[in-house]
Amino acid sequence: MDFFIQLFTDPVGFYNSHELLIAQIGINAILAISLFVTFYSGQLTLANAGFMAVGAYTTVIMSLYLPTPLPVDILAGTLLAGLVGLLVGLPVLRLRGIFLAIATIGFVEALRLGVILNLPITGEGQGLKNPSADPLGGIVPILVSLPIVAYIVWRLTRTKLGHAWSAIREDELAASSNGINVPIYKMIAFIIGAVLAGYAGALETHINFFVDPTEYSVTRAIQILTFAVAGGTTNVLGPIVGALFLTSLPEIIRQASSYRDVVNGVILILVIIFRPQGIVARGGFAVIRPRWWRTPWRSRGRAASAH
Amino acid sequence: MTQQILNAIFIGSIYALFAVGYTLVFGVLDVLNLAHSAVFMLGAVITYSLVALHGLPFILAAVIAVLVCGLLGLLIEHVALRPLRRRNAPPISALISTIGLALIFVAIVEQATPGTLFSWLWQDGANSVRFPTGAVPNPTYHVAGLTIEGTKLGILVTSIVLMLVLGYVIRFTQVGRALRAVAENRRAAILLGINVNRIFASTLFVSSALGGLAGLLFGLALSDISPYIGRDQVELKGLAVIVLGGMGSIPGAVLGGYLLGLVEVLAFVRFGSNVEAGVAFAALFLVLVIRPQGLFGARLRERL
Amino acid sequence: MNTRLPGITVAMALVLAACGSATTGGTNSSSSYQGKTIHLGAILSLTGAGGVYGPSSQKGADLAVATINKSGGVNGAQLALDTQDDASDKAQSAQVAQRLIQSGQVLALLGPTLSNSAVAVHPLAESFKVPILAVSTTGIHIVPDCNYPKPDPCKYVFRDSLGEESAIPANIKTYSTKAHPKTGVLMVANDDKFSSDGGIIVQRTVSQYGIQLLDTVAFSKTTADFATPVTRAVQKKPDVIFITSLGGIPAKIMIEARKQGFTGQFLGGNGFNTAVVSKQAGAAGNGAESGSGWYLHNTFPSNASFVSDYKAKYGSDPDQFAAQGYTGILILADAAKRANLTFSDVAGDRTRIRAAMESVNIQTPLGPFQFTSTHDVKQTIWIIQMDGSGGFNLVISVNQS
Repeated sequence: MDFFIQLFTDPVGFYNSHELLIAQIGINAILAISLFVTFYSGQLTLANAGFMAVGAYTTVIMSLYLPTPLPVDILAGTLLAGLVGLLVGLPVLRLRGIFLAIATIGFVEALRLGVILNLPITGEGQGLKNPSADPLGGIVPILVSLPIVAYIVWRLTRTKLGHAWSAIREDELAASSNGINVPIYKMIAFIIGAVLAGYAGALETHINFFVDPTEYSVTRAIQILTFAVAGGTTNVLGPIVGALFLTSLPEIIRQASSYRDVVNGVILILVIIFRPQGIVARGGFAVIRPRWWRTPWRSRGRAASAH
Repeated sequence: MTQQILNAIFIGSIYALFAVGYTLVFGVLDVLNLAHSAVFMLGAVITYSLVALHGLPFILAAVIAVLVCGLLGLLIEHVALRPLRRRNAPPISALISTIGLALIFVAIVEQATPGTLFSWLWQDGANSVRFPTGAVPNPTYHVAGLTIEGTKLGILVTSIVLMLVLGYVIRFTQVGRALRAVAENRRAAILLGINVNRIFASTLFVSSALGGLAGLLFGLALSDISPYIGRDQVELKGLAVIVLGGMGSIPGAVLGGYLLGLVEVLAFVRFGSNVEAGVAFAALFLVLVIRPQGLFGARLRERL
Repeated sequence: MNTRLPGITVAMALVLAACGSATTGGTNSSSSYQGKTIHLGAILSLTGAGGVYGPSSQKGADLAVATINKSGGVNGAQLALDTQDDASDKAQSAQVAQRLIQSGQVLALLGPTLSNSAVAVHPLAESFKVPILAVSTTGIHIVPDCNYPKPDPCKYVFRDSLGEESAIPANIKTYSTKAHPKTGVLMVANDDKFSSDGGIIVQRTVSQYGIQLLDTVAFSKTTADFATPVTRAVQKKPDVIFITSLGGIPAKIMIEARKQGFTGQFLGGNGFNTAVVSKQAGAAGNGAESGSGWYLHNTFPSNASFVSDYKAKYGSDPDQFAAQGYTGILILADAAKRANLTFSDVAGDRTRIRAAMESVNIQTPLGPFQFTSTHDVKQTIWIIQMDGSGGFNLVISVNQS
């Protein structure tokens, strides 16, 4: 409870002592948005952790060996992640549902165990120290980026592109027969997701001093998925709320101490059972009610959750 | 080299036994049960606890542990899966609720030290332990330069027999037919008067019992029982196996298990480092891209 | 924790009093802190992969706090230790460190448990100018170059845990002079910093003692069955297998290698030094040697009281990590005693403790304790040997040059 007491009575002190947590929330929110974009186009992918690794390692390696200014390093990491996204997307995007998810797991682990751990320039298991890390300065670009990213993605979902994604998500066959070029639109979503994940990875190296392969495993990818699904995937607010909620949870329930992960798990289950469509979605918030009690708006909630 | 192939066959049978339970749930319920690896771990932990803390003979402890794991399967069904089905939630949400359960199971074991709430179950926290020496006789034979262990041999036989029995039950019995009907078409099965919820519950029971058995055999043969054996050592490999074999196919999972064991060992012999693990996942990626139905998909198209 | 605190032993009180009078020098106890509280923080991995070590450090540190407070505190002030779990996660470790530094009144920190987290937390503490004492990390680049690859040394980072750069060479040297091994194979988990650091040190050291490294077998921590890598190593027929890895892995490798008929020697690092590993390895581990920062039956004056207090409080023997955690608190308490704290100027008090830490000279369970000029520990290295039944025997003690 100290967490909330300080948050409301002493916001400045709270900010000063939780900058890194807030920065991490920002990073996780961008990652969750990157997953949301692909999800919005009907694709379940876990490749984000791999794209993060590309963004992060590129940025740090450039800072170590090239005289380029930091923004250039970050940009290069981001673009390279997009390029890798294109290369990975070409073969895998004809897969659907859980098959796509598992193929991307294959990509993430092959990159981490097969490539990063065996390329001397990545520091292998030693990891790499980021020479230009500035944990407290690093928060500024993150806090600036998040609303911009969120706004752009929100705008995108309202354009022709966004409508095409929705159509593909609802029914790929129908979308295709309506003249939507399904492979192209899916690929666009996949690359945008890769670019955002690469960007988040590049930014994260600036609050953590250090990149090492353990951070870019499937565990991380599944964590990102949890943010998006628990938050809700009907609009861009969902992943942000999900990241906010689940990243701060360990701090909020710190008093529960050693059984923290038990509490974590219970909350995760409760959230998904009582809000299967995510925290942010239509359908009202309190869904705890007996089975026989049907309210008129419940059917709408179901419709929203069906995709 | 012959020794390495023996190694591959042995680890392959553990992968297969783990993956069979995994794929069974996917085939029947269409969800990935990510708590399966936690049940695998509990299979080992419960057996260890009964043997080392409560002094039961190994065989009795193993039987109890397998049954308890089956019951945990029912818990998974009732807590994490059924409520979501009732709400018509997308299958992806089952991923989240089962992750939640896995977190809880692992945390309970990891936090159990002497004097805490769960010290009757586990007392070693995050540490790794093994069965007390002599709890299970393990004659080791050295034949023509090869090392063959009694326990590993026993495990190989156990897993093959069990998988054959499971295959028989699913192919040729009443229950098996109902199971396959539900897997093929849930709605039609309901119309045929099959109690789908009961089929789901028994699927979870069998799957988790197999998972728990795989876990305790793993702990026995590899002298490694810790809160993390499921999550770190077999979870992702299990996923790779069921994809290699074709999602939802039991013979596929068995063959996939042995195949992965072989690929890993050969990659290790060839490259001699953890490129091996990368190779397994690269193979997974390629198989999906080239043959999304799995390596054996064409011949074993029918589910289960 | 439902055990009751034991009464402080007379020996402990004497030791504390002795080291107080020996080192306070000009300040002596006239600067009374009566009625004040000295806030300290600890960032430890109580859950997750580091949960094998963190809880021991915590028990050791808690015992030291209780013992000091019972005997009248530090110049009359009570110690208050705020221990936070980082779940073995680097990001959480840094977040917790920041919160302890910014919102608490902590004057100094202990931790973090894992080298992976230390690379994030130590530079952070350095930039906030808060003294931080590593009590379990043994990797390279911990002290004094926490800012590597930048050359400027870290002024606020200290360590009381014996680094692998000292322990592994001492261990290899001891065994070479005794048994003159000709060949070796290195088995290293190359996907975490601790293990791969150890591997690098072994590779750098062996040739000095005429040992030919026949092969380096790298594997992933997530390897399920070690039969495959072990077969590869055993088939080279080495005299020695070097193992640098964490958790249950060293034990699994020893068991598997013995099954496959390996009869040579196991040498390793800090990953061997817990009773749990010795117990898991069992007979297979009998004779495996490693360099340790502490030995249960060492005869240093304050070790006996530490061991007996620990047993009375927790019901089991302490291990190396408990001894280092305990020592960590003794060091901070001694520095606080001599730092002329103001209790109003937190930033100033932190700097004063840092300065006082450089001249620490006390008796601890690790032996007479002083920092080197690079803020590292200078102490006796205990070469210990697994006894095949969950314990360790002393081979020899080596004084660090």
